[in-house]
Amino acid sequence: MAELYVKPGNQNRGWNDPPQFSYGLQTQTGGNKRTLLTKRVAAPQQGNIQVPAPQSFVASAPPSMSPAFPIKPMGPPPSGHTPSPLRAETALRCPGPAQCECTVDIEDVVEPLKQVLTTCRDAVQKQVCDDISRRLAVLEDMWKSDKLSAPVKKRMSLLVQELKTQNWDAADEIHRSLMVDHVNEVSQWMVGVKRLIAEMRNLPTEMFVITEGDEVSKAQSAGNTET
Amino acid sequence: MEQDLKPCVFMATYSEFIQQNEERDGVRFSWNVWPSSRLEATRMVVPLGCLFTPLKERPDLPPVQYEPVLCSRPTCKAILNPLCQVDYRAKLWACNFCFQRNQFPPAYAGITEVNQPAELMQQFSTIEYIVQRGHANPLIFLYVVDTCLEEEDLQALKESLQMSLSLLPPDALVGLITFGRMVQVHELSCEGISKSYVFRGTKDLTAKQIQDMLGLTKPAVSVQQGRPLQHQEQPAISSRFLQPVHKIDMNLTDLLGELQRDPWPVPQGKRPLRSTGVALSIAVGLLEGTFPNTGARIMLFTGGPPTQGPGMVVGDELKTPIRSWHDIEKDNARHLKKAIKHYEALANRTAGNGHCIDIYACALDQTGLLEMKCCPNLTGGHMVMGDSFNTSLFKQTFQRVFNKDMNGEFRMAFGAVLDVKTSRELKISGAIGPCVSLNVKGPCVSENELGVGGTSQWKICSLDPSSTLGIYFEVVNQHNAPIPQGGRGAVQFVTQYQHSSTQKRLRVTTIARNWADAQSQLQHIEAAFDQEAAAVLMAQLAVYRAESEEGPDVLRWLDRQLIRLCQKFGQYNKDDPNSFRLSDSFSLYPQFMFHLRRSPFLQVFNNSPDESSYYRHHFARQDLTQSLIMIQPILYSYSFHGPPEPVLLDSSSILPDRILLMDSFFQIVIYLGETITQWRNAGYQDMPEYENFKHLLQAPLDDAQEILQSRFPMPRYINAEHGGSQARFLLSKVNPSQTHNNLYAWGQESGAPILTDDVSLQVFMDHLKKLAVSSAS
Repeated sequence: MAELYVKPGNQNRGWNDPPQFSYGLQTQTGGNKRTLLTKRVAAPQQGNIQVPAPQSFVASAPPSMSPAFPIKPMGPPPSGHTPSPLRAETALRCPGPAQCECTVDIEDVVEPLKQVLTTCRDAVQKQVCDDISRRLAVLEDMWKSDKLSAPVKKRMSLLVQELKTQNWDAADEIHRSLMVDHVNEVSQWMVGVKRLIAEMRNLPTEMFVITEGDEVSKAQSAGNTET
Repeated sequence: MEQDLKPCVFMATYSEFIQQNEERDGVRFSWNVWPSSRLEATRMVVPLGCLFTPLKERPDLPPVQYEPVLCSRPTCKAILNPLCQVDYRAKLWACNFCFQRNQFPPAYAGITEVNQPAELMQQFSTIEYIVQRGHANPLIFLYVVDTCLEEEDLQALKESLQMSLSLLPPDALVGLITFGRMVQVHELSCEGISKSYVFRGTKDLTAKQIQDMLGLTKPAVSVQQGRPLQHQEQPAISSRFLQPVHKIDMNLTDLLGELQRDPWPVPQGKRPLRSTGVALSIAVGLLEGTFPNTGARIMLFTGGPPTQGPGMVVGDELKTPIRSWHDIEKDNARHLKKAIKHYEALANRTAGNGHCIDIYACALDQTGLLEMKCCPNLTGGHMVMGDSFNTSLFKQTFQRVFNKDMNGEFRMAFGAVLDVKTSRELKISGAIGPCVSLNVKGPCVSENELGVGGTSQWKICSLDPSSTLGIYFEVVNQHNAPIPQGGRGAVQFVTQYQHSSTQKRLRVTTIARNWADAQSQLQHIEAAFDQEAAAVLMAQLAVYRAESEEGPDVLRWLDRQLIRLCQKFGQYNKDDPNSFRLSDSFSLYPQFMFHLRRSPFLQVFNNSPDESSYYRHHFARQDLTQSLIMIQPILYSYSFHGPPEPVLLDSSSILPDRILLMDSFFQIVIYLGETITQWRNAGYQDMPEYENFKHLLQAPLDDAQEILQSRFPMPRYINAEHGGSQARFLLSKVNPSQTHNNLYAWGQESGAPILTDDVSLQVFMDHLKKLAVSSAS
């Protein structure tokens, strides 16, 4: 459910900068047993390197393909089967960052967060709560002035759902993926959400009565329309 | 039970045996059957040694929750292992290293042949213990941040640092030092206004002075013994500078967000004044006083060379360029020796404290890695070199420092002590890797040093599951003495370390190999040669020498060793080069040496001193597979003719209708042959009837992605095509079997001629054969 994408590196600032993998892609590699490209061939011990089969290399002739392939005079590539890459699992097609046209309602995200904060107020230092509150205001502000991208909004709504169902680990993981993938959008306020998750985790269980039935269904339907 | 380790009995081939040993024990030996006398061992040319990965990832090996049983002889203290003889009735065990007979502790009263503790079972030749000793301290991360950066770089770095707060363990302690012309140590407080202590960047201070000025005069280790640390019990004295992430994350995020570029004006024609030397010194002193022998990372982020104070690498006049290899050879690098001395002293202190120093250097010009290299090299810290902090190369490399393993644990460990024990016929010559000597002399320490020697223990302040050391041995059994008792020699590696979960752990690996008489049983020794391990071990020795000796001397030494090895193990008629043959177990070795000679580890041409330091840094710590990729890059070919296949790293492999994927560790290159390039330019991949061509173009990209996703540090990624300028990354690595000099001799065009006067592998091999078979040498 994490975002899986690869985006190009920053060629303006670094020569041959490698592509950038999303947090989801980076973390999922941990468990996979990969096919390693580590084989070598020994050079022939006797003198010359082997010259490849000559018919493939007659100058200016069309590329010689195995007869099964139809060959056009100007030497287009053969059609037919191509060997798949060596990697074990079927290659992950990773498009650029997802362009989802979802509409997450700001109320569905910010309000529950504020509620959660209210729940914390009794148990957590006032100053910390004020600090979190300040950051939630920044979030609200950026959202309203359209400074947040669709993936951030969508993932925030998922985070809020996890919070409501008290899946602290899952919520924390979404926070982490947002920090890694969208740090420039979220760095100012996300730490408040992070702290909120941590404080909630520490609260005794009976203290949260935040999930009103209709809110859950609202959030869920918001989530469903996007997937 | 002993037979299991004898390869001939249970395993089909030595290559299976070698692979199994690497997977189970993280060990690769150059020789897997050992010559039984000192004299014969020296005649093998390649020393007896191994590449050892102390914390080799073993998801199938859960640690045991009890203390290991030690041999009672005070000079031995080897740990009970599957090689020990056990008398189950008398409840005695004999140490396989010193033959001392030991009583089992009372807890072992119930053991029998069928009820063995794990450490006696064959499959636990590697075992890990969780030892509960003393109290656990949280991990510490101290950021040392250069503010003399361009706006764009500083912004990117600030974001990366803010991001890292989400990746750190929540109870880790974190601190912040920033520097430019001045050095600021930031007080981290949860409330109110943040304060900082400002130091001049020109004056070095002793640890004592730093601690006095920061008000850290009392030792901070006042935590209750034996109990896990509670957050509230943080020692107050250091808490002004080092705070738990979960308490300080909001304020530190703001503090980082508000960081400004160094405010001091930089006049035209000048470099900014950058006090890296003092900043590092303060960081080291701060941790030295407050958290000695606790897992701690000092993480230096810098965007240029130190330009003032102790540790200065170049002056601030832009018209004076930073030292080059040429300057160094001409003894014309003014600040070099003094700077190295400064950083070496810091590195040694840091290693003494059990902390490590990472350097993340991002700039287009050199930043002084040559002078500062010992900081990461001696402490096991990372060295990362990039062009800018606003690159994916830096950002992702930095993220990967905080990678977790399959169990969700950080892949970093701290404060390791590696103790090596050997059976009597064997002594330890030394180690090469991210370690320092602990100067522990003992009966198994050889006088002949290779690498860091004169000790049987080394400290590795920071390591991860791939950190690998080369460990070298000497056979000391006399020539006329019989093959030693039991027919096998043994080595025990004991690694004590702080796990990222802050547990103290002890990993024990005990291995044994057969002895053989080199005169009557040379074929056994020969068949058990691990040419890959041998190549890396020899390469590490060569690179180690290259740090102190002239380049040509090292190459000559390497050549002499290769010729002697070929003389010893080649089959040939005297003075007949054409008759020369090497058996399969040696067949790749000469080409490894050929590529090593051309590698940036031994050739400084076309590399800056910083680049050489960077490449050597990584070579000295990667595991065998990665090290070998650095020596001889991997080349795979993709075509319509069949599945992707490994091909010779040779210009003859560069063919028009192929796509090549080259992995040289630091660079991943995809190269489109001439015809492929034309097809691509004609847009065939977009036509539905040539979808197969689209797939062919995609296949190497997918494989490259797989490598890119896991490598640390992130490599550069080069998309090259026939005739393009980027093709140079491939052309400079392949064996130039076809050059402008011999092209016409080949008649038809095949492969790609390389414009070089470098010697090709063929010429190299011809010379090698001549010298090997020559009766004169």
